[in-house]
Amino acid sequence: MTDAAIANPLRDPKETFRRYTIFGVCAVFLLVIGKDIIIDETDWARMGTLAEMVKTALFFVPEWSFFPQTVGPLLETLLIALWGTILAVTVSVPIAYLAARNITPFPVLTYPLGRGLIILSRSTHEIIFALIYVSALGLGPLPGILALATRSLGFLAKTTAEAIENADPGPIEAIEATGANRLMVFCFGVIPQIFPIFVGNVIFQMDINIRRASILGLVGGGGIGLMFAEVMQNLYYGRAGMIVVGITAMVVVGEFISNRVRQRLI
Amino acid sequence: MKENVSLAFDSYRSDEMRGGLWKFVGLLIFIAFAFWSIDVLKIPIERVLGMFGRLGTMISERLLPPEMAFAAEDRVVDSIIETIEMSILGAVIGTIITMPLAWFAAWNVTPSRAILYPLARAIIVVTRGMPTLMWAMVLVAIFGFGPFAGMLALVKATIGFAGKLMAEQVEAIDMRRVEAIRATGANELDVLFYGVIPQVWANWVGIIIYNWDAQLRNSTILGFVGAGGMGLYLREQISIIEYQTAMAIIVVIIVMVVLSETASHFLRHRLY
Repeated sequence: MTDAAIANPLRDPKETFRRYTIFGVCAVFLLVIGKDIIIDETDWARMGTLAEMVKTALFFVPEWSFFPQTVGPLLETLLIALWGTILAVTVSVPIAYLAARNITPFPVLTYPLGRGLIILSRSTHEIIFALIYVSALGLGPLPGILALATRSLGFLAKTTAEAIENADPGPIEAIEATGANRLMVFCFGVIPQIFPIFVGNVIFQMDINIRRASILGLVGGGGIGLMFAEVMQNLYYGRAGMIVVGITAMVVVGEFISNRVRQRLI
Repeated sequence: MKENVSLAFDSYRSDEMRGGLWKFVGLLIFIAFAFWSIDVLKIPIERVLGMFGRLGTMISERLLPPEMAFAAEDRVVDSIIETIEMSILGAVIGTIITMPLAWFAAWNVTPSRAILYPLARAIIVVTRGMPTLMWAMVLVAIFGFGPFAGMLALVKATIGFAGKLMAEQVEAIDMRRVEAIRATGANELDVLFYGVIPQVWANWVGIIIYNWDAQLRNSTILGFVGAGGMGLYLREQISIIEYQTAMAIIVVIIVMVVLSETASHFLRHRLY
């Protein structure tokens, strides 16, 4: 028996042709994009030889003696992340209340409002929020905290609203049956059910906010990013390398702790 | 009997009081911490009070309405196309690098637990921890301005983002199928192609699409540090205090991100 005698659906010529066409179109598309980015838009002459690039890259080898000076800004970054998260938590609960389909007070008006705020917050990069706040409030950690809060309340409100939508209606009905008003139903029927999920998400968001807080300084939002921007401008590349190492270490430790705590919660 | 009840009541009351005490102490600690933070961060209190008024004036008078005509200028349209191209290329190249890394970084099927596993894990952890925008600044210093540095920054972001998710998928596979393949005398590569990839492929495709979506979001601001794309015009317009044109770019970014999110959501649900 030869191969051809077996009717293998995977070797159907039409299907094979279709697959190769899709593959070919994708490959051509990628090649065109690649040519545009790597050949047309890149100034290879300015870049110099590979040896020169390696030489520049070696300037970034961390200057360890700079470490003590980075501790203060790193702590500041951590505080910005923490306060950004605390603010986001406070604001996200009412927004989640608006954006959860089953408990929103006036579905026609408040549901789209809540969802719209969530989409706006989730789809805008923290740098953009920071720019707007910095231009209104001046430099410093305050616009950074506000930018972080605005950025992370979308995720918190979205996950909380989803948890509320998936909450067990049994306890909610039981509390409604006692004649409780909307607020009491929310406090005693909904919140106890979603609380563990909410705490897990807050810790997750805190961990992400450490990462976000570290770049806010690039646009004047305070923290370690400000120091990084200064150091890069003055071409102290070794110090820049040290700062990157410091941030990476802080983020990795933060992520490790957050994972551990969340595992214990769930 | 009566004594028992009163004892129980006493213990209940002391419990409640102790709970209240702890709450009070917690609140005090929180307030002290808040004041300490305000001191460390040097937050100007008098500015916090007038904050919302100033934000309101800023948004209503200087940011709105966005001058959308700016976003239709040729150079801006070119930069938007460049942003999308950069995100696709960075995501694709990053994914190609990430796939073997995810295989190495999965404890259950890694080809070498002593060398490749810790190495791959370290690469994923470090690339995850390093902020993409700073990495882009470093790359711009090495490779010069332009989308090439941005693309490499996105490759880094992809390794960190998709690497962890993909390795998690590999670690969750059904090991019986891997053992069955191993029992035929297959080598590690055969195990990968016939035991691992068929099980994770559907999830991996979902992660790849999701990752592209995330990289598009990243690529919109990479231009801020000169790493190509539309972020450059955002920075330019803000530094010359043309907030309404800057707002136009922000609107374009939001529209792009929402569209890509919808597209990625649609694709992921169609593929499953």
